[in-house]
Amino acid sequence: MLIAAALVAGAAHAAPVRTEHVEAELAAERTAIVPGQPLTVALRLAMQRGWHTYWRNPGDSGLPTTLRWNLPQGMNAGPIEWAPPHALPVGPLMNFGYEGEVLLLSKITAAGDLAEGKPVTLAARADWLVCKEICIPEGADLSLTLPVAKVSEVDPRWGGPIASAQAALPRPLEGFAVSANGAGREVVLTLGGKGAARDPGQVYFFPYKAGLIEPSAPQTLTRDGDQWKLELAVANQRVGEFDRVAGVIIGSTGFGAQRAASIDVPLEGSIAGSAPVKSAPAPLPLPTQSENLSFGLALLFAFVGGMLLNLMPCVFPVLSLKVLGFATHGGGRATMRLHGLAFAAGVVVSFWLLAAGLIALRAAGGELGWGFQLQSPAVISALAILFFVMALNLSGVFDFGRLVPSSVATWDAKRPLLNDALSGVLAVVIASPCSAPFMGAALGYALTAPRGITVGVFTSLAIGMALPYLLLAFFPHWRTRLPRPGPWMQRLKQFLAFPLYATVLWLAWVLGAQLDNDAVLRLGLALLLIALALWAWQSRRSGALHGWTIGALAGVAAAAAVVWPVVAASTPSGPARSVSTDAGPWQAYAPDRLAQLVSDGRTVFIDFTAAWCVTCQVNKRLVLSSAEVNDAFSRHKVVLLRADWTRRDPAIGQALAALGRSGIPAYVLYRPGREPLLLPEVLQRSTITDALATLDKSETASTR
Amino acid sequence: MMLRTFIVAILLIAAQVASGGAVVGESAPNFNLTDTKGNPVQLSDFKGRYVVLEWTNPNCPFVRNHYNTKNMQGLQQRWGERDVVWLSIDSTNRQSWDYVKPIKLAAWMQNQGAAQKAVLVDPDTGVARAYQAKTTPHMFVIDPQGTIIYAGAIDDRPSTRPEDPLAARNYVQAALSQATDGKPLTTSSSVPYGCSIKY
Repeated sequence: MLIAAALVAGAAHAAPVRTEHVEAELAAERTAIVPGQPLTVALRLAMQRGWHTYWRNPGDSGLPTTLRWNLPQGMNAGPIEWAPPHALPVGPLMNFGYEGEVLLLSKITAAGDLAEGKPVTLAARADWLVCKEICIPEGADLSLTLPVAKVSEVDPRWGGPIASAQAALPRPLEGFAVSANGAGREVVLTLGGKGAARDPGQVYFFPYKAGLIEPSAPQTLTRDGDQWKLELAVANQRVGEFDRVAGVIIGSTGFGAQRAASIDVPLEGSIAGSAPVKSAPAPLPLPTQSENLSFGLALLFAFVGGMLLNLMPCVFPVLSLKVLGFATHGGGRATMRLHGLAFAAGVVVSFWLLAAGLIALRAAGGELGWGFQLQSPAVISALAILFFVMALNLSGVFDFGRLVPSSVATWDAKRPLLNDALSGVLAVVIASPCSAPFMGAALGYALTAPRGITVGVFTSLAIGMALPYLLLAFFPHWRTRLPRPGPWMQRLKQFLAFPLYATVLWLAWVLGAQLDNDAVLRLGLALLLIALALWAWQSRRSGALHGWTIGALAGVAAAAAVVWPVVAASTPSGPARSVSTDAGPWQAYAPDRLAQLVSDGRTVFIDFTAAWCVTCQVNKRLVLSSAEVNDAFSRHKVVLLRADWTRRDPAIGQALAALGRSGIPAYVLYRPGREPLLLPEVLQRSTITDALATLDKSETASTR
Repeated sequence: MMLRTFIVAILLIAAQVASGGAVVGESAPNFNLTDTKGNPVQLSDFKGRYVVLEWTNPNCPFVRNHYNTKNMQGLQQRWGERDVVWLSIDSTNRQSWDYVKPIKLAAWMQNQGAAQKAVLVDPDTGVARAYQAKTTPHMFVIDPQGTIIYAGAIDDRPSTRPEDPLAARNYVQAALSQATDGKPLTTSSSVPYGCSIKY
């Protein structure tokens, strides 16, 4: 004790602790603590020969060393600044850690008013796992006593080693342009720029986070032009979101003056199995809007929503066709009513079928929402082909009467009512993705309500949608405002082909967003073949071309053209390329990301969108991309998340259901300490700025 | 629905070819091992039941912590009663000096009051390689259709502190109760922790 006391008076004092396999102690860079100045303190671990301890990411097994400080009043310790690790192979596995001796540095800060003269003791509990073939958890209670003085000297024993350890710490990589690109099961880290002129020697990348890059997979460095490329393997069992490549990269001959450097770059491209295995999203507070929706109100909303469906861009082509139908249909009032009723029946029955399907799927546990049909590339391709054929018919390239065998044609003509009913079905199929205002809430209500209510809401939607046609059929004098039949009809018919072509274009764009350019090309080629086939068929029929071979060839071409893109599209090769997540401040939505942001007390705005949702795109162009709204977002430091539902994603389906919605668009604002705010489906700039203004109130309230 | 099933099937085949490993959502590789008593056991014997695979090593402090605290035995007991098949596998290479003879392993397990269906020995490490098992304990949960529904750590506290196992969020417990209740799993994968398997 006397000796110890004598040492304290002179300079720093610490006693190394010996465990079975490690010698541990705390060491300071300087001889005294100077109030108001930082001091670097090292945890020195000296391992027995052949034994190792671990880095912050231990690799395939192991545990990082931990340090819990117990400091006097007025002093604080920063986190461990990890020395560059070594790759330590263990059989087929890989660990990241240290052999021999390592200094793990921490910054200690002392308050400016720390009393001088009296020595202070810095105490810490250090725990480490030390392994050779077997692993032993060890730990020690360490302390370091230092005088407090106005001036300090570099510690004669530890000053040098700590300064070298400090110099060896990884710093952000300088002189290089770094990027990371994912493709399949591989991530390529590209090091370009002027620094790439030199050879960094043997290069190894140590990721900060476990579960993203397979630790034991070989990393190969290749020269590509004036860049270096390091190939990394994606973890076989990936855990968590892989959106950045962050870690320490070490070159045996160094990157300029640095041997070890840190990098943190976004991961571009797409990696295999990109839908990461879901990890636990924290339960979030839910908006209460849909709970307040009474049954009657839901029916009303559904009814109004159904009527508005007629005005939606998706249903426009069908509307055109039906108006044409009313203009061409002759016959008496009774016939007219029957036509109207048949169309209405078609609409109602298809909504019932949808309701039954949704009830069945909900029971089966599928998280499906409105518009999900259009999440399947095969359905998109099939619809594009259908619309294209209809458009060619309207353009006069061919005539159904000639194409279809006469028995079927007359069957069709003899059953105009069935025809009407089928066009009602078609209208529903096409209208469904563009869920109009009101309809989202009603559907959300229906999906979480008992079956009877679900059917009620769907019936109400159907009646709303069919009503305008029914009214025209029952009150023909309202129809007198419609123009009389005449030669204009042919021109109108030809003109009406263009909305259909536009729809085909839009579907092709959606397909491109879901798959890739090749898919669009396949579809385009298929459409070309179909056009050729129909033209050839028509020409043969009208006697301009001869021989059954042309017709047969055309038939084969058409069949191949129809089957090929649909089959090819039903086997998507990768994740959806996000048409809408690549823009500026917007980040891709993930449930755990949201949970994290909410628990961090951030304000978060989520845009639930998809390429096939026209209302979403309109809102995005006119409102979300406007300078006014963006200014408001950045002024309130709102984190912007975009949930892209272009392809089916159960996580997004669940999030929508949790919000009481089953379709998109949906916009929600999460505010710290308050209930999430669900915004209307049709956005205006003021909707957003007003919603953000509610933040100002809460901020002033909370900062007081 | 047909189409969806078809797409899922294609994706699964693609994923299996790509990684060649045992990953959540894929079917669990079958195996044929002997237990510590010398009886043959194969995974396919248990089709139609939930199966838990627990990679174990009686010398590993992480494994010992879960047995000393009776955490592992409790899980084995509780889920065994509910017809879940719990298989502990020791994949320590017979060349490793960490290797324990089956008879000793059986005695250790018995001493601990372990309640698993069987303790399997894999001294050629072939099954560990097929599952890409990395640590002890490394846990896998397999559903009655033979699909891996959970892979990773036993809980969210990678440590050897005795107070942790019973206070931690146990991923295997959560996966089994959610799966048997027909609910989606909140956590279906995590980074395994522990001693490395002695390949």
